[in-house]
Amino acid sequence: MSESVEQPELEAPPGEVTAELAEDMQIATGTREPILESAGVSMVFGGLRALNEVTFSLKEGEIIGLIGPNGAGKTTFFNCLTGLYTPTSGSVTLRGAPMPQDPARVTEAGVARTFQNIRLFPSMTATENVLVGRHVRMKQGPVSSLLHGPRFRRSEAEAHDRAEKLLAFVGLTRFADELARNLPYGDQRRLEIARALATDPSVLLLDEPTAGMNAQETEATRQLIFAIRDLGVSVVVIEHDTKFIFTLCDRVLVLVQGELLVEGSPDEVRGDPRVVEAYLGAPPDEVEAQIHAGEES
Amino acid sequence: MSEVTSESASTTETAEAPVRTVPAAPPARHTGRLAGPLNALAPHAKIGMVVGGVLSIVGAYLAWSTFVLNEGAYPERATLTMFVEPFGVTGFRLHITLLGLATIVVALLRVPAKHRIVRGLGVGVTAVAVLNGLWITVEGGGLGAITASDGTVAFGSIVALVGGLVTVLSATAGGLEDKPVWEWKLAWWVEWILLLVVFVLILLLVAEVLTSGGQGGVVNPYAGVVFLSLLAALAGAFAALNASGLLTWVGEVSERHRVFSVVVLLLCALALPFTGAGTEYWMTVASNIGVYAATAIGLNIVVGLAGLLDLGYVAFLGIGAFVAANLSGAAASVIGIHVPFLLVMVISAVVAGIFGAIVGSPTLRVRGDYLAIVTLAFGEIFVRSAQNNIAGLTGGANAIPNIPQVALGSFQFNQSISLGPIQLPGGVMYYVAIVLLVAAVMLVFGNLKNSRLGRAWIAIREDEDAAAAMGIRTGPIKILAFLIGAMLAGFAGAFFAHKTAVVAYDSFRFLESVTLLAAVILGGMGTIPGAVLGASILFVLPEKLREFADYRLLLFGLALVLIMRFRPQGIIADKHRKAELAEDPEDAAKEAPGALPTEVK
Repeated sequence: MSESVEQPELEAPPGEVTAELAEDMQIATGTREPILESAGVSMVFGGLRALNEVTFSLKEGEIIGLIGPNGAGKTTFFNCLTGLYTPTSGSVTLRGAPMPQDPARVTEAGVARTFQNIRLFPSMTATENVLVGRHVRMKQGPVSSLLHGPRFRRSEAEAHDRAEKLLAFVGLTRFADELARNLPYGDQRRLEIARALATDPSVLLLDEPTAGMNAQETEATRQLIFAIRDLGVSVVVIEHDTKFIFTLCDRVLVLVQGELLVEGSPDEVRGDPRVVEAYLGAPPDEVEAQIHAGEES
Repeated sequence: MSEVTSESASTTETAEAPVRTVPAAPPARHTGRLAGPLNALAPHAKIGMVVGGVLSIVGAYLAWSTFVLNEGAYPERATLTMFVEPFGVTGFRLHITLLGLATIVVALLRVPAKHRIVRGLGVGVTAVAVLNGLWITVEGGGLGAITASDGTVAFGSIVALVGGLVTVLSATAGGLEDKPVWEWKLAWWVEWILLLVVFVLILLLVAEVLTSGGQGGVVNPYAGVVFLSLLAALAGAFAALNASGLLTWVGEVSERHRVFSVVVLLLCALALPFTGAGTEYWMTVASNIGVYAATAIGLNIVVGLAGLLDLGYVAFLGIGAFVAANLSGAAASVIGIHVPFLLVMVISAVVAGIFGAIVGSPTLRVRGDYLAIVTLAFGEIFVRSAQNNIAGLTGGANAIPNIPQVALGSFQFNQSISLGPIQLPGGVMYYVAIVLLVAAVMLVFGNLKNSRLGRAWIAIREDEDAAAAMGIRTGPIKILAFLIGAMLAGFAGAFFAHKTAVVAYDSFRFLESVTLLAAVILGGMGTIPGAVLGASILFVLPEKLREFADYRLLLFGLALVLIMRFRPQGIIADKHRKAELAEDPEDAAKEAPGALPTEVK
């Protein structure tokens, strides 16, 4: 895409779309109970300890931010939560039940994710991408797929209706029939979110949703995530942009070299000297020691 | 071809005109290797095109060969003896005449995308001239055959070739426009009549192509070149029609009347026996094409939709055929029971499907190239087992001969039928049955493609990990692709066994798998017409080019290399594939229907 793109109106999803979607998805229970929890999750790759005893808990309707320097293990942690990796030790539970160790089943159980490097289905249209997200909630056996009977047509119509609403929700209606690969970068990220939301998740894990975005797009993404929370979806966000995280999240977790360093409200985390050190580095005399201790980060 | 700078090919919106985008002729500033001559030629493009057209026609009416060929359809038209019957202009002479006339007419009229249309016509003339000229040269033993020798002169092919090249160069010099987009909407009944006419024309064209040059081999050594020459002429005409945007428009009209189109197309396919192709021989050829087309569509599920490369796919056709052979009551089958044909088809499909699931199961563990090798090994295991007459089921080198014909009461499918005054050839019932089978297979493919399952397959093809993250259980879904693909081949196999009456292991070798795969890729991956077209081309060509049988694989390989270089998306491209393979995304956006809204650029 050329740079002369006339910026489309980026604003929060219209309220009525959000309300309709919330009714369709029926996620919110309004309990504020813990929904996604991990207890002592460790992940070891060969000799590298990527995660060490990470314990956290996400409450319903909460937005949690996960920050940390490059190589801190944030994405590894996401992969453990979503069944892509099986943790070396520790457990992940969703509403108290153990998380299945298979990405497809995790999604079925209600945890959806986006990827750090966008992984859309590039040669499918935006609508088709979202329809793939509906896969897990659609009831169509091979036989009904073959015969296209009335039940099939109803379920297709429902799925298309939902896809339309989701595209309106993320503001991509005008690209509905466009191939995903032709979408501008920021819109690809939004489409990935729409696709993840199509699985009716109760928890949404966003891996660097604003990477490569300008200030305006970042702001639009913040509004979008608030709107997603209003749908009743609990959100975990990985992000480097600390300003973005501190203005978005209810709670922030700082992961450094696989360890959960600090956990607390944005204000608490912002003021914590350990966080500053992790990001900006230690005073000079300690740097040498650090280099020896943690070259892998 | 040199490139034409087309930055000013801006789309001009005219509200009332039926043409949505009339491409303004780009200023002819050529860059690239031929820039100099092309720029010099540009102001005279119109004259050049007319001259090219005239030269083509003149060439067509000169003698093409300095020697008299043997008896047969080709020589009469190609040699000096043509002027014995001055009005008997047929074959390639007729094609060049038509293309040349069209060139002159289009060059003189105000037509959108004029230069692009003319270029297509010119390419057609050039190809016909080259093919026939080459053939005469080879047959006559040297260039003397197409120039002058023993007091006779025959510059026909050279003049036509020059005419074709002049046309192409002038058209290119004039500046190639974008394809115009037509937006006519007519009354529904007008559109129905139009579609009816188009489909009947297609039927007649198919019959013409199928029978052109007649049966190949010793019977008629000219079949190959006559057939290829017709193909070349058609390709030129097709390119011209495509450039005019009319093909796209007819496609849109038929999309508006989907059900009508499907019904009429099916009826047209069933009407083939009433055309010139209505002889027993052509019915057999058409039935064989049908068998391979059905199999290719099955393979298209595995390769085109799910993106799993299967190099041993023909084994499923073989399994279906051997199952049917054993249940047919043939003397050579060890089972020796006779099961009704419809039931046999189901059993064959189920057995093939079971093997499909078995072959597909490694997909849980291996991906990409490794899977291809697994399927290749399976294909070999099947052929070797069949060759060694495993469990007495395959007859080994003796094959299973004398499989009884399919019968409906006392009527056997290979008998001819009289419909009042019309006598339909033997084998016509097989043809009808295979048309219905192919239609059913198309329905299966089309319906599955546009369903939850089809989208899951495509998602797996695009990005397997992301598909899993969307809740798609990739393992079972991939195995299902193998299972359904194998079942479709099994159906076709049962049919094949009864149609050919002999099932031998050597019909299912690696080469056949590769040919099927090539049919899918050549025609266009992931599309139904593509698979049918690919299968037709690859299984008709050997029939026509028997005199080139020794070079069959060589030519075949060459054709594939050329296709992959110049049209990697296949002849009939899936709109998604097209976009994927286009080098420049903006080109893809231009070509793909429902392209990027202009305000985004």
